[in-house]
Amino acid sequence: MTTAREEGQALSTTPPPPVRRFTARRGVLTALVLAVVALALGVYFGAVHRGAPTLSGDTLFALSLPDAQGREQKLAQWRGKVLVVNFWATWCAPCREEMPEFIKAQNEFGARGLQFVGIAVDDAAKVKAYVEEIGLNYPALVGGFGAIDLSRGFGNAIMALPYTIVIDRSGKIVHTQLGPLPPAKLKSLLRDLL
Amino acid sequence: MVFLRISSGLRPRLPEHEAVPAGRHFLSSVARGAGAALLALATAGLGEPPDLLENERAFAFAARGVDAQTVEARFVVAPGYYLYRDKLHFRIEGAPAGDAPKLPRGEMKHDDFFGDSETLRGTVSVRLPLARPAAARAVSVIAQSQGCADIGVCYPPQEQKVTLTMPAGAARPTAFVEAAPERKRWFR
Repeated sequence: MTTAREEGQALSTTPPPPVRRFTARRGVLTALVLAVVALALGVYFGAVHRGAPTLSGDTLFALSLPDAQGREQKLAQWRGKVLVVNFWATWCAPCREEMPEFIKAQNEFGARGLQFVGIAVDDAAKVKAYVEEIGLNYPALVGGFGAIDLSRGFGNAIMALPYTIVIDRSGKIVHTQLGPLPPAKLKSLLRDLL
Repeated sequence: MVFLRISSGLRPRLPEHEAVPAGRHFLSSVARGAGAALLALATAGLGEPPDLLENERAFAFAARGVDAQTVEARFVVAPGYYLYRDKLHFRIEGAPAGDAPKLPRGEMKHDDFFGDSETLRGTVSVRLPLARPAAARAVSVIAQSQGCADIGVCYPPQEQKVTLTMPAGAARPTAFVEAAPERKRWFR
């Protein structure tokens, strides 16, 4: 549109005053700058909103939480392993549904350095009962309802469950997953990391 | 833009004598367009986290005063999300609560661990009677809820609070007061 009008103006016998053309060009420039700024802001807030982890693996390894039996467990004890930290709860059906898959993977790859750790956004009594019922073969730490805020620090912006973070042997967070971790995704991660 | 082209390309050409009312043409092309757009979104979003709503937006709570002695509590549950009926609780501050509210019936959902539970979708409206009229008085309604999304995530139990001024005896119902106004989005 602008180009067509400018062409028309260039062909006419009375050229438009240069000031007006300058303003038009500056308008386009301003619009461009605004667009770039808007894009940058959008990308930035999009990233924050989507929840890039603000906490590092080191923050995780500094934590200590009680397990289902009430014994305090330092997460640092699993440093150097391929660590899968799964935020879950007994009141979360999709969380419970994916746990048999985790139990299987822990059985199969535990010897090769894979360690699952559950952090329950739940009460200790409920966690203990459920863990015993399904025969969980990896630690179930009890975080209480405050643990959802902890998961947020690791990128769970929506603060829903299940939320899973995968940490490589060097302690770096290499994958975060809101919702069930697809078995194919877990397999490919383990193939790369173990 | 793209999905419009796809939809017109996919739409079968009907013989003249089978002319379909214009409205149906339009609807089917809208449906195809929406389908194609969803497909495009799903393809673009492969490996990306699902775009989920925050707890208070998935289960948007509001309340209003119907008359001096009745509060209407309302959840608008976003499509693809559901609330657990037995996890829904209401509390009133600033006025004595009356009889226990009647919750709408939901659909049954089977759970291996908890047994069957009822789930509520769409607009969930609950009348909360007060023991005495609270005309022109400020009353707070606190809703406790817990729900999930069909896509496979659940949200922790949450409390949402709304404070409203009850209508006087013969006055008309007040407008709904939302617990999570839209502008909050900008601060998150």
